[in-house]
Amino acid sequence: MILDIIISGLINGSVYALLAIGFSLIYGAARIVNLAHTAFYMVASYCIYFATHKMGVHPVLAMLAAIILVTLIGLVCYRLFIDPIREHEAAVLIATIAVAMAMQEIMLIIFTGDYLSVPSLVKGYLGIIGVKIAYQQLLTFGVALLILAGVWTLLKKTRVGLAIRATAQDREVANLMGMNESRVAMITMGISVGLAAFAGAVVVPLTVVNPHMWMHPLIFMLAIVVLGGLGSLKGSFAGAYILGFAESLVVFLLPMGAFLKGSVALSIMILVLLIRPEGLFGVAFEEER
Amino acid sequence: MGILGIYLRKLYTLFRGEVLVLPSRIVVFLFFVVLLFLPVVTQDPYLLRILILTSIFAILAASWDLLSGFTGQMNFGHALFFGVGAYTAALLNLHVHIPPYGSIALGGLAAVLAGLIIGIPCLRLRGTYLALTTLAFPIILMGIVFAIPGITGGELGVSGLSRLSSSRLYDYYITVVLMLGLCTIMWKITDSKTGIIFHAIREDELAVRTAGINTTRYKLLAFSLSGFFAGISGGLYAHFMRIAGPSTLEVSMSFTVVIWAVFGGIVTIYGPIGAVFILFPLLEFLRFWPEFRMLMFAVVILLILLYMPDGFLPWVRDKIEKECPRCKVRNVATRKTCRVCTAQLD
Amino acid sequence: MKIPKFVLSILLVACLVMAISLPAYAAKVIKIGVIGPMKFVQGKGHWNGATMAAEEINAKGGIWVGKKKMKIELIKLDSNEFLSMTDATNAMELAITRHKVDFLVGGFRTEAVLAMQDIAMDYKKIFIGCGAAHPELCIRVAKDYKRYKYFFRGTPFNSRYLVKTCFIHMATVGGIMKKMLGIPKVKVAIVAEKAMWVDPMVAAAKGFIPKMGMEVAGIWRPSAVATDVTAELSAIQRSGAHMIFTTFSSSVGITFARQAGELKIPAVQVGINVEAQKDGFWEATQEMGNYVMTMNTYARGVEANELTPRFVNTYIKKFGETPTYTADTYTQIIYNLAPVIEEAGTLDADKIVAIMENREYATPGGKIKYMKDAQGRHLHDLTWGPGYLTSLGVQWQDGKLVGVWPNHWKPAKGVPEITYKGIVPYKIAPWIIKEYKK
Repeated sequence: MILDIIISGLINGSVYALLAIGFSLIYGAARIVNLAHTAFYMVASYCIYFATHKMGVHPVLAMLAAIILVTLIGLVCYRLFIDPIREHEAAVLIATIAVAMAMQEIMLIIFTGDYLSVPSLVKGYLGIIGVKIAYQQLLTFGVALLILAGVWTLLKKTRVGLAIRATAQDREVANLMGMNESRVAMITMGISVGLAAFAGAVVVPLTVVNPHMWMHPLIFMLAIVVLGGLGSLKGSFAGAYILGFAESLVVFLLPMGAFLKGSVALSIMILVLLIRPEGLFGVAFEEER
Repeated sequence: MGILGIYLRKLYTLFRGEVLVLPSRIVVFLFFVVLLFLPVVTQDPYLLRILILTSIFAILAASWDLLSGFTGQMNFGHALFFGVGAYTAALLNLHVHIPPYGSIALGGLAAVLAGLIIGIPCLRLRGTYLALTTLAFPIILMGIVFAIPGITGGELGVSGLSRLSSSRLYDYYITVVLMLGLCTIMWKITDSKTGIIFHAIREDELAVRTAGINTTRYKLLAFSLSGFFAGISGGLYAHFMRIAGPSTLEVSMSFTVVIWAVFGGIVTIYGPIGAVFILFPLLEFLRFWPEFRMLMFAVVILLILLYMPDGFLPWVRDKIEKECPRCKVRNVATRKTCRVCTAQLD
Repeated sequence: MKIPKFVLSILLVACLVMAISLPAYAAKVIKIGVIGPMKFVQGKGHWNGATMAAEEINAKGGIWVGKKKMKIELIKLDSNEFLSMTDATNAMELAITRHKVDFLVGGFRTEAVLAMQDIAMDYKKIFIGCGAAHPELCIRVAKDYKRYKYFFRGTPFNSRYLVKTCFIHMATVGGIMKKMLGIPKVKVAIVAEKAMWVDPMVAAAKGFIPKMGMEVAGIWRPSAVATDVTAELSAIQRSGAHMIFTTFSSSVGITFARQAGELKIPAVQVGINVEAQKDGFWEATQEMGNYVMTMNTYARGVEANELTPRFVNTYIKKFGETPTYTADTYTQIIYNLAPVIEEAGTLDADKIVAIMENREYATPGGKIKYMKDAQGRHLHDLTWGPGYLTSLGVQWQDGKLVGVWPNHWKPAKGVPEITYKGIVPYKIAPWIIKEYKK
């Protein structure tokens, strides 16, 4: 039973971590709360479905195509809708909600509300000490770790990463130091949406695709980044695994209450915020005047 | 007869001096008149239904603005107040047989309690953290609603409530009068000393604290007032639809309120009201293109945000009125000189 | 020049709306409003069934109403009930006050149908519910007959009978497992999505399963839109369950079937899985949903009576998929409304209700007779049982959805065995046979 919980928690956590890192990146670098993050994840899923079903393309190729396409869409949306109004924080929030709604509606029009699915990359399962794990889940876990390592390398070892980190720490000074702040924001947006698309590509064989699939992960993702501290990647990572384990605990210890996982996760978030208003690893910024 | 004439003439002078002077005030006056006298022209039940629902949501949107616009505490879980008000009114009406005017009022008070409950943890939070935390509360409540279906009716909700009144026409007048009244009260609140403090808290809370004002008390006041009005709108909704269900607590309801308010213009009470009166019937008219309805809605929102970031109504207002540079009084845009201090309006 | 364009477009919309909503022509037609979640498969079923019925009737020239023949005009109304309750009630009001419909069919989500029912009753319009199974809809008819008598349930039979039929399926499959695999006592895992309509079923199952000689291995309640149930599946396997009693109406049905198939969980799935009733299920589960059994109303090749094949085959030819129960709007218009209107000779609601509630008539799903409650009051609810409506048990066998029940079903002592035409034997998944066969 404990093994079940651990494995289930690890896998759930990795999926959430993928989504949360992207969201955290764009908030840290550009102070944009991108509520459409999971909507991009949904669009990526639909792209993969379309490529594999209607065009018969091999799943891996479909994933690559989806990632590139969704990143482009993300950049375009950013340029058109978010960049002009970056100064008004509230407006940005609304704009991202509207973008998410628009994407949901477009998907609904093209694909209707039927539930669709995407073939797994690897079929079959593995039995470890009585617990059955599907290969696809192991793949998800592995890829998630790989990507997280990749993002970490990007941020710590490259110049672009340096620019992103600097902008995240202090936008104005980074600008003074010669980094084109709006270009950095654009690059970060691209990486962030790319990560969301990657998450979609990896996770989608495990889930059902429908136009409303973006709302539930959004709630979880928000809980995770708030719990971990907005803008802190370490925090998002930690938060993802904490809530992933919380979810499995609920399912295993309270089978009658499995539907409560959302509420439990959010309650944990609120509790942590009561004790530490900046989240676990967040930095308490002084109000920017 | 003579005295009546004098009073009527006084009223007319007042009217001409205060209302007819500015186009925005004329619009508000016409708004009141049209809403109150519409049933004389037509009593089409479908139209009345739309207007009743619009009025209910107008109260909700205005109450959001009171909290999030004026005090700056971004509340992304406004559906909590709406749902608490609706469910409380419904349960009291169904089990304790309290008539609508009682159950709605009590629903409002229950929402005040909810406001305090979420206000207290949120005192220490700022900006995005606050927004996301408030988002969480209605979801948690929805989980609880599903966990005790015996009392709350689960996803079926509480049904079989008594009507607001015996006829559609009375329903209409009750809701419209209540809406106009409550919104006027909200407007007066923002125009008072409390309102100034709310403005100040939004702009710079630290400075307000240094001035010796207990911001905690005022923030909690804002949460409570907002909760009260939203709770009342929830109760009205429950009694009009005769069912209070989990759809009142949905995340989409919270988001929709925020969208209306931002579309109409935050930090004004009339903004959200106007927005609801424009958008809700528009959404209903667009029923004829069911596939594109929500899409057009989202696109409209995006366009507004791009070109009128302060909101639609303030943008319109800025186009038809000008502010005098010397005495700061508003004038019609077509005037060349200020009506009060005769300074040049450029 | 932005304002003028904006205003202009709004004005244009308003004008279009005015034009469309003007009463078009003198009512020489019978207007039937079809109200349902049109963007989803349930609403599509509503609309398809109604269209098929209207075309059939209009091809014959219409229905006799007294001395003249009137054609049917359908009004499509999107209630959007999954997403917005206000939309549903607005649509209902729009139908009655603007479109001036004479009759209404449809509805799916119980929360919405309860509210829509109230509106229809306010205006005394006959509303035939084709989708919501909650008993409350008909209990209202008995409690306040004068107000609610205009409501009839068209489909499905209410959830109490759903439970009963499920248990019969479970008993049947349990018997097969006992015989084929030599299992002394079958363990059943109850997996029910968290939804109101399921709660009484879970309680009933908990009590009834021991009476059927089986044992409850555990109860799991995932969310109705859960995207990952591997945790639940691990726990179920650990509990040693041989059978999984499923009650799913939403996407979790696909997820569960797919993951259970992929992980080759050694337990058969029986019960209700609404997603498994649809032709798209096979693809949606990536062909992992094999051997899943569920209740259904129609299946290819299965005939409940002589009316079934014509309906099912025509529907498949027209729309390319097997009809689901919401397509019973066809049944309700052709076999219920039309003949009753002709018999009454008028469109008057009260006269029609008086005739409708006492009729017994055959439909492609079975024979319909309206129930009365214990005190003899009219419920306008559907009777269940052999000779009336029993629905079917269907199973996915290698990409085909086939009927497996009733198959030599003996309802009670002294009642003859029932087997519908076109029923095939139930199959157990090979990995389950391997796991248990001694």
